[in-house]
Amino acid sequence: MFLEIKGIKKGYGQGDSRVEVLKGIDIEVEQGSFVVLLGPSGSGKSTLLNIIGGIDTADEGDITIRGESMGHMGEKKLTQYRRQHLGYIFQMYNLIPNLTVRENIEVGAYLSKQPLDVDELLETLGLAAHQGKLPNQLSGGQQQRTSIGRAIVKNPDILLCDEPTGALDFNTSKEILKLIETVNAQYGNTIVMVTHNDAIRLMADRVIRLRDGVIRKDERNTEKISAEALEW
Amino acid sequence: MVMKKNPLRKRYLRDLRGDIGKYLVIFVLLVLTISEVSGFLVAENSMISAYNESFTKYNTEHGNFTAQKKMNAAQKKRVEALHVTLYDLFYSEIETDNGSTLRVFADRKEVNVPCVMDGALPEQKDEIAIDRMYAQNNGIAVGDTLRVGDNAFTVSGLVALPDYSALFSDNNDSMFDALRFGAGVVTQEAFDAFGNEQKVWRYAWKYETEPSGEEEEKEMADDFLAALAGEVSLSGYIPRYLNQAIQYTGSDLGSDRATIQMFFYIVVVIITFVFAITTSNTIAKESTVIGTLRASGFTKGELVRHYLFLPLAVTLVAALIGNILGYTVLKEWNASLYYNSYSLPTYETRWNAQAFVQTTVLPVIIMILVNTGILTRRLSLSPLQFLRRELKKKSGRGAMPLSKRIPFFTRFRTRVILQNRSNYLLLGIGIFFANVLLMFGLMMPSMLDRYESRLPETMLSNYQYILQLPAGAIDEEEKLAAVLKMMRFSKAMETDNPDAEKFSAQVLRTYPDGDYKGEDILLYGIGEDSRYVSLELQPGDVYISSTYAEKMFLNVGDTVTLKEPYGDASYDFTITGISDYEGSLSLFLPQADLNERFDLGRNTFTGYFSDTEITDIDQAYIGQVIDEEALTKVSRQLTHSIGDALIVINAFSVAIFITLVFLLSKIIIEKNAQSISMTKILGYTGREISALYIVSTTIMVLLFILISLPLCYRAMEWLFRVLFLSKMNGWIPYYIGREVYLKMIAMGILTYAIVAVAEYHKIRKIPMEEALKNVE
Repeated sequence: MFLEIKGIKKGYGQGDSRVEVLKGIDIEVEQGSFVVLLGPSGSGKSTLLNIIGGIDTADEGDITIRGESMGHMGEKKLTQYRRQHLGYIFQMYNLIPNLTVRENIEVGAYLSKQPLDVDELLETLGLAAHQGKLPNQLSGGQQQRTSIGRAIVKNPDILLCDEPTGALDFNTSKEILKLIETVNAQYGNTIVMVTHNDAIRLMADRVIRLRDGVIRKDERNTEKISAEALEW
Repeated sequence: MVMKKNPLRKRYLRDLRGDIGKYLVIFVLLVLTISEVSGFLVAENSMISAYNESFTKYNTEHGNFTAQKKMNAAQKKRVEALHVTLYDLFYSEIETDNGSTLRVFADRKEVNVPCVMDGALPEQKDEIAIDRMYAQNNGIAVGDTLRVGDNAFTVSGLVALPDYSALFSDNNDSMFDALRFGAGVVTQEAFDAFGNEQKVWRYAWKYETEPSGEEEEKEMADDFLAALAGEVSLSGYIPRYLNQAIQYTGSDLGSDRATIQMFFYIVVVIITFVFAITTSNTIAKESTVIGTLRASGFTKGELVRHYLFLPLAVTLVAALIGNILGYTVLKEWNASLYYNSYSLPTYETRWNAQAFVQTTVLPVIIMILVNTGILTRRLSLSPLQFLRRELKKKSGRGAMPLSKRIPFFTRFRTRVILQNRSNYLLLGIGIFFANVLLMFGLMMPSMLDRYESRLPETMLSNYQYILQLPAGAIDEEEKLAAVLKMMRFSKAMETDNPDAEKFSAQVLRTYPDGDYKGEDILLYGIGEDSRYVSLELQPGDVYISSTYAEKMFLNVGDTVTLKEPYGDASYDFTITGISDYEGSLSLFLPQADLNERFDLGRNTFTGYFSDTEITDIDQAYIGQVIDEEALTKVSRQLTHSIGDALIVINAFSVAIFITLVFLLSKIIIEKNAQSISMTKILGYTGREISALYIVSTTIMVLLFILISLPLCYRAMEWLFRVLFLSKMNGWIPYYIGREVYLKMIAMGILTYAIVAVAEYHKIRKIPMEEALKNVE
């Protein structure tokens, strides 16, 4: 299996104030699939994403990618893991404010031995005309497209998306989702997306619903629809 | 109505703890600066008071003269009839066993009364009290035995003599020499035991009526000289206002104040801007919190006061502690610097309100004004703008285009530098000031060493003798008698030394300009085919020494106007050449030209060059001997006087450097914490992140160090010239050795390396959750 998540548990705090955010999560993800993690606030979906992304650690359980366990990775190895396998897209874009659009994408390109062509990608993302602009000169959608560019330029195995449309309006959100759909189709990256937008599940291969730190439902989407057709 | 306390106050202690590194270094720098400046001002003020009061307390003379023979009672009576009181101030100048010269007086009871600093005045015939400064420089303590000539004395005490607060052995000297010249007092009985042939018949006088000012003092001195010359054959006449041994200390005390204050305000302003930048950074970081508070009804004023509190509190506490240290430890240290140079009497600490205002009130006001201004401007955005993090009014400004051919890391670093340009600008200014201090601290020893080592090469001759007619010897109204006397003196001034070469000399004075003091220029009239001066002067030629040209910015073709030291006549000279002579500020003319210009007569000469010592001329006719020792007095005394201060100056410069680099690079990293966190998430290694963020600062620090070197060179040249023009006679060629630059670069790099290690650890500590913060 490409990505295996086994018995992941995670809690915060101590004693009476301890909160168990993840209470034992087991998921297996095939390469190239588009998985949506759905759930209300506090369900543990972002925590799970962060653990998959190696920026948070599990109290128990393990994650393996291509058979390589993350559980025993030190800081350096985790860095290499993120560098080689992951691309990240956040709700608030997290672009580097003093770099231009192009340079922000190059931040990702630098990390890959075989990055995608930045100019081509800028065209694909519809950002060629804005490549010399700083993030604060862009709209939210343009910033998120830049963030997607930064994530996919290194052609990662897994693209982790944390509420990528959470800060965007309907039309821009659809644009971004279309782009993610294109990326998935074009480059074959595995996508794990966290969202609380129920409509997005319709474009995924698989939908996992979380509540109170446990998987409530794990279903395969047999009738995927395109992002273009999504409505909410 | 009960006044509600602002709940935000609870953040103060937490904020302080949370950013303790920043506040601690600023606090330490402020305490160091304020305590030193406060200590300096208090010590200086107390010293000035002690010095000024010493005139009355120790009954300082109004002047002294040296008679060729001991005056008899009738002469004294006639002189005292000129409305003065005379006091015997006889002395013998004797070599001691440590190679220095001690001027030994009989104990003074009425005039120039010694201030006992340690031990007691001599009571036994074999006891001596010596100048404290001289004793300190020569490692002599109370109870030691000192051989003075053929006599052995026990040192009974260390004293300060009010007529030798600066140990000038000769009033014509360009600098005093507290290392090889000292003064002391023995009992009358011991003094009487010295042979009369060793004694110099010096008398001090005091006017019956105290002169009201320097002008009246000058008039009274001129009148007294005219009358005195009729009664006594004089070989020296020094009214108090011209006596360097008394006046030099007074003119030096207080002269450093402006420099110290300027340095202090530079540090305060730099720290103020550091606070302003850190506060701005905090505002950016807390943008959404501020937006929420403003939306909830907090006023702009409340928030300005909130963010102003900590910088102000740190400044206030630092100022208070600085003042306490200034009045205690640092006052003593600063006083010791003065005691290291001058023979000052004991002082009492004077409360200095001005020092308190300057070191406490003004910094706090500067801090309030600058920070309030910046905070008011930064907090003038709407709550919504804060909530949206739209903190810059001009958000439309584009990015500077950078070619994509430039390597990515280079572009990244360029962006970091551009983003933080105001921080780096402040850093550059700070590095410049720190390096000015460092350069001063490092250059002085090397410059003085070079001066001393080069001097023998550039000296005109090993010895120069400037001859003098005893003061008052020539009565201008009795021409015939004057001519006869001149003839007699001319004969007495001849030498049989075959190395001796005659020259004419005349001393003129520069016109003081602004705050600069007038300075004696020695005019040499050089004979034809001189063995010692190889200028090959033609009639009409006027050469000046390289030191004169350098100090006064003079070039060939310039015209200088000089005046008589005690007269109204002035003389113009157009410079036709510059001689490579570093010994003094001098002007070289053909001897015939000089004699003609000053009506000296064709064959008149007033000095000798000689490579060997001239021993067959009566000392009474030798006004000044210029040899290597005389020429190195300035450098020796400077080395001694400022030695301790240089260590402190170096330490201060390093402290300023490290504080600024630490704070500003910390700000840059904090400002980019989220981006750094994001790069970590993306998979950048610690080394790569450091290469992006630390190397940017490294490049700027190195660049600023390099840029600052030529700027410091120019600034120091200016400061050095101002120092010499306003405070010191003569000139030491301005020179910064290559090793000084190398040391500055090395110290800069070493200091920065310490900060870079701290930065590296700070970057490592930035959590990846930082990038996720705004998701919530």
